[in-house]
Amino acid sequence: MKRVILKFVIYSLVLVLALELLVRVFHLHNERPERYLDEYGVEKWVPNQEGYSVTGNRKQNVGAYRINNFGFNSVYDDYTVSKDSIEVAIVGDSFIEGFHQNYTNSISRKVEKKLPNIKVLEFGYAGYNLSEELNLIASYNHLFKDIDRVVIYMRYTDDLITGEYKVSGRLSLDTPVNRLLKKSKLIVYAKDIGAFDPIKDKIAATINFVKGVKTPEVKETNKDAIYLANFKKLIKTYNYDKEKNVLLLDYSLCSSEFLSYLKQNNFKTIDFSSDFIKSKEPKTLIYDQHWNNLGREIIADEIVNYIKNENIELVK
Amino acid sequence: MLFNSIDFAIFLPVVFILYWFVLNRNLKAQNLLLLVASYVFYGWWDWRFLSLIAFSTLVDYTLGVLLGKEEKESKRKIYLWISVIVNLGFLGFFKYYNFFVESFVDAFTFFGQDIKVGSLSIILPVGISFYTFQTLSYTIDVYKRNLEPTKKFIAFAAFVSFFPQLVAGPIERASNLLPQILKKRTFNYCEAKDGLRLMLWGLFKKVVIADSLSPIVNDIFSNYSTLSSPVLIMGAVFFAFQIYGDFSGYSDIAIGTSKLFGIELMSNFKFPYFSKNIGEFWRRWHISLSTWFRDYLYIPLGGSRGSKMVGIRNVFAIFLVSGFWHGANWTFIFWGLFHALLFLPSFLIGTNRKYAEVKNTRLNVLAMISNVYRTLLTFILVTIGWVFFRSETITDSFSYLKRIGSSFSGIPYIHPNGYRLVDYIVLLVFFIVYEYIIRNNERKPIGFKNRYVRLFVYILLVFLMLLFYDDGVDRSFIYFQF
Repeated sequence: MKRVILKFVIYSLVLVLALELLVRVFHLHNERPERYLDEYGVEKWVPNQEGYSVTGNRKQNVGAYRINNFGFNSVYDDYTVSKDSIEVAIVGDSFIEGFHQNYTNSISRKVEKKLPNIKVLEFGYAGYNLSEELNLIASYNHLFKDIDRVVIYMRYTDDLITGEYKVSGRLSLDTPVNRLLKKSKLIVYAKDIGAFDPIKDKIAATINFVKGVKTPEVKETNKDAIYLANFKKLIKTYNYDKEKNVLLLDYSLCSSEFLSYLKQNNFKTIDFSSDFIKSKEPKTLIYDQHWNNLGREIIADEIVNYIKNENIELVK
Repeated sequence: MLFNSIDFAIFLPVVFILYWFVLNRNLKAQNLLLLVASYVFYGWWDWRFLSLIAFSTLVDYTLGVLLGKEEKESKRKIYLWISVIVNLGFLGFFKYYNFFVESFVDAFTFFGQDIKVGSLSIILPVGISFYTFQTLSYTIDVYKRNLEPTKKFIAFAAFVSFFPQLVAGPIERASNLLPQILKKRTFNYCEAKDGLRLMLWGLFKKVVIADSLSPIVNDIFSNYSTLSSPVLIMGAVFFAFQIYGDFSGYSDIAIGTSKLFGIELMSNFKFPYFSKNIGEFWRRWHISLSTWFRDYLYIPLGGSRGSKMVGIRNVFAIFLVSGFWHGANWTFIFWGLFHALLFLPSFLIGTNRKYAEVKNTRLNVLAMISNVYRTLLTFILVTIGWVFFRSETITDSFSYLKRIGSSFSGIPYIHPNGYRLVDYIVLLVFFIVYEYIIRNNERKPIGFKNRYVRLFVYILLVFLMLLFYDDGVDRSFIYFQF
């Protein structure tokens, strides 16, 4: 009997080593850059990192990223802005950050190809909500004040959950233990495909059971009213510039009250929902909610149309 | 508790250690452990239904003892009928009550009579069809004097609820399982090793074949009315492999787990998709159920011994009951009827047992081509049958099949989650080739002599499990609903 147990343990170890090797050989694992809080209190990626972002069990999607010296994924290192040229900034979360594509094929690059006289700077960071986006703009006011237009991507269902800026808990993900675990590409891969989720759920359920914590009952709250209140609070706190800033939105996700408020108060918006619905092809990636190339193409077209309609070049 | 869950990954080693390291000198204690473990295993899903198993156990144990003592045939018959009524009564109530009520109402509505009979909100206890048939086999065997009744209640209760096969089989015969539970078990290294290999193979079939095909099959069967013929054919073929991977995977894990406890369960699947006719298919698919019906229904009805008409009646009886056993829906009954019709020609011309004996003789090219043709034809027919099995209603099944024959053009299929279909087709080709290689012994799927080949297969199987692991799918086994 001991022989079976011993063999089981030995084979398991060999198996783990072989899998580690296979994951590395086929590069199935995702490479995440490291994060930090900069001198302005803005959470960003540690500058000058390169790697590959991999999505799906079988490398369904691979994107090369390049974190520039400013801490965002971009082809540009130079984020200095000239008063004579036209610059547009796109601020947002992982959809704008674009780890799921090659950094040379981002939404910004797509816009620049269609409007060669305009430079598009990217400020995308996975997990940013509106408070973090507005905090970034305010913290780097010396940079943003000279940018001609700022497109802020806001996902209504996720980005208005708070009405004030707080440093997120994401930084705690980069603990020394986590960094050590990340050395095993098999662990990184298994975690990303959700293979550890049942274990994590079981541990959480056991802890709750031991502590006697019951699953909180989901209270029916008026989320839309909360989101609207948070939005109002944020634009007041950060003195939102309605002339320069434009919200990139999926109208189909927004409440009618929120949309009415934006209209009544003359907020500039770009709605991409109708063009998304028109196209029958998938706009998102495999095992991922992020936009695929077609989705990004549609978004880029929407931004280009907006810039054209605004006649920014003529104004300048 | 699911075999493919963290709960089971913790539960199994704990029971294994207690069984072999703590209680190995005491058979009664080992059986008590098996009983408690089995009740924990089942109660993990819903402890309230343990009372059903306990009651069934008590009834059949008592009747078994009474049958052992009683000599008068009339009284023995009464005891048998009590067991049949109690067991099938529970099964009928929990599984078929609403079906009969609804069919009754539909029939009256059809003839213009509007009657109101309320259906009940009944939860179907997991595995009720499996353990009911298992306990019934005990009473019938004791009644027929094929088996001595046991007076050891703990052992009998452990036989009824033996956790590896409690909820989805194989449906064990008392004559095979009970003597093993009554006998002192000793740890066998080779058996345990084979058990672990079977468990790995079963897990692979469940996680990689069944679970990964499931979302594609669900999508195709839900939206069949808008899809083209090639996509619908692919959906039906995928389902054929999904249900095979799911159910045979469960059986393999069950048999493997049993081996770890020194108990041998019967084989439930013998590579059914390599069958060359329907008769052979049913000797390879869900064997424990087919043989149960053969021994306790077909043969008592007269089997094929009487006139041709009696034989035909018995064939229809066994297939219809088998279909109905699967679920309270006309789709299953029609599936059974469809198989009866497929089986009938070979039954009438007497070729239904043509491939009963497995022969490993060398074949010439012509015979090989003929075998491939017969295998493909059988697979196609079985797959058409699966359309009835998988569809929500009879109307859906016919519409699905009709579209296969009529809608040859359409837009390329794209799953809402964007699954890359070529991955799954390559996977199935790999699976079929591997099954063909191991086709001679379903009990030793990784029985290669060379240890490096075995190691390569272990790594490959686990690697594929990672490559096709889908955290969004429902992990329960299809046959739990039966």
